[in-house]
Amino acid sequence: MQPQHILEGYRVLDFTQFLAGPTTTRLMAEMGAEVIKVELAPAGDPTHLLPHRRAGRSGYYIQQNRGKKSICVDIRNPKGLALIKELVKSCDVLLENFSPGAIGRLGLGWEVVHALNPELIMCSVSAFGQTGPLSKLPGFDYIAMAVSGVMDMIGDPDQPPYFPMLGIGDVSAGVHALAAINAALLYRYKTGRGQYIDISLLDSYFHSHEINVQAYSGSKGKIQPKRSGHHHYAAAPLGLFRCRDGYLFMVVMARQWGPLCKAMGRDDLADNPNYDTNLKRVERRAEIVAIIEDWLRDYDRDDALRILEDMHVPVAPVLSVPEAMEHPHLLEREVVRTVYDRGYGALQIPGIPLRFSEFPEPLDLQAPYLGEHNREVMTTLAGVTAEEVAVLESGGVLHAEALPQGVDTVASA
Amino acid sequence: MAPKHVLDGYRVLDFTQYLAGPAATNLMVQMGAEVIKLEIGPHGEPVRNFPYCRGGRSGYFIQQNRGKKSVCLDPKHPEGLAIIRRLLKHCDVFIENFAPGVIARLGLGWEEVHQINPNLIMCSISAFGQEGPLASHPGFDYIAQAYAAVSDLIGEPDRAPSMPMLAFGDVGTGVHALTAVGYALLDRERNGAGGQWLDISLLDSYFHYHEVSVQAYSASGGRITPQRSGSHHYAVGPTGIFKAKEGHLMILALLHQWPILCRAMDREDLIDDPRFHDNDARMTHREAMIGVIEDWLQSLSSDAAALAILEQARIPCAPILSVPEAMAHPHLIERRTVRTIEDRLLGTFQIPGMPLRFSKYEVDENIQAPLLGEHNAEVLKQLLLCPAEQVSDWERRRVLYAKPV
Repeated sequence: MQPQHILEGYRVLDFTQFLAGPTTTRLMAEMGAEVIKVELAPAGDPTHLLPHRRAGRSGYYIQQNRGKKSICVDIRNPKGLALIKELVKSCDVLLENFSPGAIGRLGLGWEVVHALNPELIMCSVSAFGQTGPLSKLPGFDYIAMAVSGVMDMIGDPDQPPYFPMLGIGDVSAGVHALAAINAALLYRYKTGRGQYIDISLLDSYFHSHEINVQAYSGSKGKIQPKRSGHHHYAAAPLGLFRCRDGYLFMVVMARQWGPLCKAMGRDDLADNPNYDTNLKRVERRAEIVAIIEDWLRDYDRDDALRILEDMHVPVAPVLSVPEAMEHPHLLEREVVRTVYDRGYGALQIPGIPLRFSEFPEPLDLQAPYLGEHNREVMTTLAGVTAEEVAVLESGGVLHAEALPQGVDTVASA
Repeated sequence: MAPKHVLDGYRVLDFTQYLAGPAATNLMVQMGAEVIKLEIGPHGEPVRNFPYCRGGRSGYFIQQNRGKKSVCLDPKHPEGLAIIRRLLKHCDVFIENFAPGVIARLGLGWEEVHQINPNLIMCSISAFGQEGPLASHPGFDYIAQAYAAVSDLIGEPDRAPSMPMLAFGDVGTGVHALTAVGYALLDRERNGAGGQWLDISLLDSYFHYHEVSVQAYSASGGRITPQRSGSHHYAVGPTGIFKAKEGHLMILALLHQWPILCRAMDREDLIDDPRFHDNDARMTHREAMIGVIEDWLQSLSSDAAALAILEQARIPCAPILSVPEAMAHPHLIERRTVRTIEDRLLGTFQIPGMPLRFSKYEVDENIQAPLLGEHNAEVLKQLLLCPAEQVSDWERRRVLYAKPV
């Protein structure tokens, strides 16, 4: 039978919360894996409370958890732990993003789960990694960003740095984890062997330094990486330029300098010996920025954009989030897509960034209610009867929120 | 025989240049795949001249291309194209990052390569994707970043946005491509699927990073408008960059951590202060809140003293390290997040470590970035059974290129 998607038949036990880990398992669910999200009783994933909320549902939680099954378990209760250990035996992948050491103290460290299921792939996602002096510290995206030398590279040189108002490091670490799990699955398919994977935000952020690390090291400190505001420190013109009503971003390499001059009606500059190499343009960056912004002063952003595009200068309008969400290209490719949650209603979220020709249609996925799949998962995988689930729920070992009136549970596959 | 790493036995024909594509194949090499880098003669990959250069070698090139084999040819020469087509029969993956349409005009579009090798996974990486109104626009990291509404979220609200001095979009797109290729391989092995074509873009990858902004703007009907807000977060706090005694510190105390932070600062009186008692109140009185924290930081003898107190209380905090400071930090050194490599020509220098850590395998550090066309003879002999004389003849006739050592 043709699989619904690539990961159909794989089962993932997902202990992750917040963002980095849930990103990984969200993408696995989008690729057809069965993801059982283990939420800690009684409240579950803290992001149930994050904005924007409607009808008791969080858009943040929905975005990251569509297509997952939720079981809500008190794993500090020996009965709860025993249920989880039973599930470990029938899963292919276990993912967690607690502070390093916490999963071991819960009784589910690598040695334990590896003994329970030698084919299991376990992946831990953390801020600083499982070892090293910083490993025990609490961390979030921006904390790892600060330590990685990335934050220091954003902003004006004489001002404090900035950080981007989005969780680049969390999502990126989640994608790194997804890549590592994939390779481990391929390897297991051939050898039957499981293994443990250690993914960190710090590693993922530091991995993004394409120039800074090798240039500082190779030049023995002569090249000092530094933030330089709106314009690149090593190439020009490369940066943000002010128009009448907004900003354009331009990347002008050697071949595009001539076309840019032509676009500005300044053919005279194209061969001007003051500006004919990148090095000279970097040295005279202030002059060049002034020339370009003088020209742009008479233009609205989108008009200047068209002129520059016609000359094949790499250029982009700096779009706000609402503008990007209305852009025809993002709509046509469903880079921004609309999903429907049973309780919340319609909601726009980012699209799936992995596009497979064999699977052009996204799966129809719903984010679970807390503990919605306690009964299904426990009866099918942990050898527990429906009556026993009810007893466990009333005893607080399992927890489930009531589905609102009119909301049906997602039929199990 | 035990495999040397998870991708041992897979062969990749890598027709990528610059950063996003090479970042994907860089990780594949480090997981044991054989990567044959196709370079266009006579000069090959443009980044072979990117700084920092020494002895004719680029550190930038080396960082992204260690362990790959280089075959340098003229793909527009009929014999050069024929060589590529023959190589495709022996490869599992074909990856390219030309502007959309270019690879098909070269005669290597998806339909052609799928016909040549039905089991081949082809991955195309571009700025905006293979179709759609922007597809044909030239693009680099920052261009896609601007279209993805990421640039707009960096900097002071009343000033121009600020640009990060590193290309996390290119590297992140490479990692997205890596996952798509890997899962397509898994599909092929496990589900008996043949090859397929993957369309990976910088715009998709950047937009994928919006964890809050898209859904919050959409769901709130525009009441929550994402905006850049300088050195402090616009929606939660305290979360931001605080002026400390010597430098700046990143401090992040969400929800339940506010009382803990107050106790750490010895300011229990602030826990129930109506200006600060919940996140909404703290956002309304953001300036006052920042003032309280910065006053406390100023009262301490050093930044290290502040970090020690905050770490003791398990408040997430960090010094904002410069790149050189990060490279010297004991944690990054111990975990080899920064690692030292040795190039045959450039010598010893440092690059970022391997971010994917497997319990079964050590990363092979003893790999070299290739010289231009270094593996022409080896690859063509091994895969296409071409005798050495044939290779020399092609090199003489400028079908193949090699740079003498």
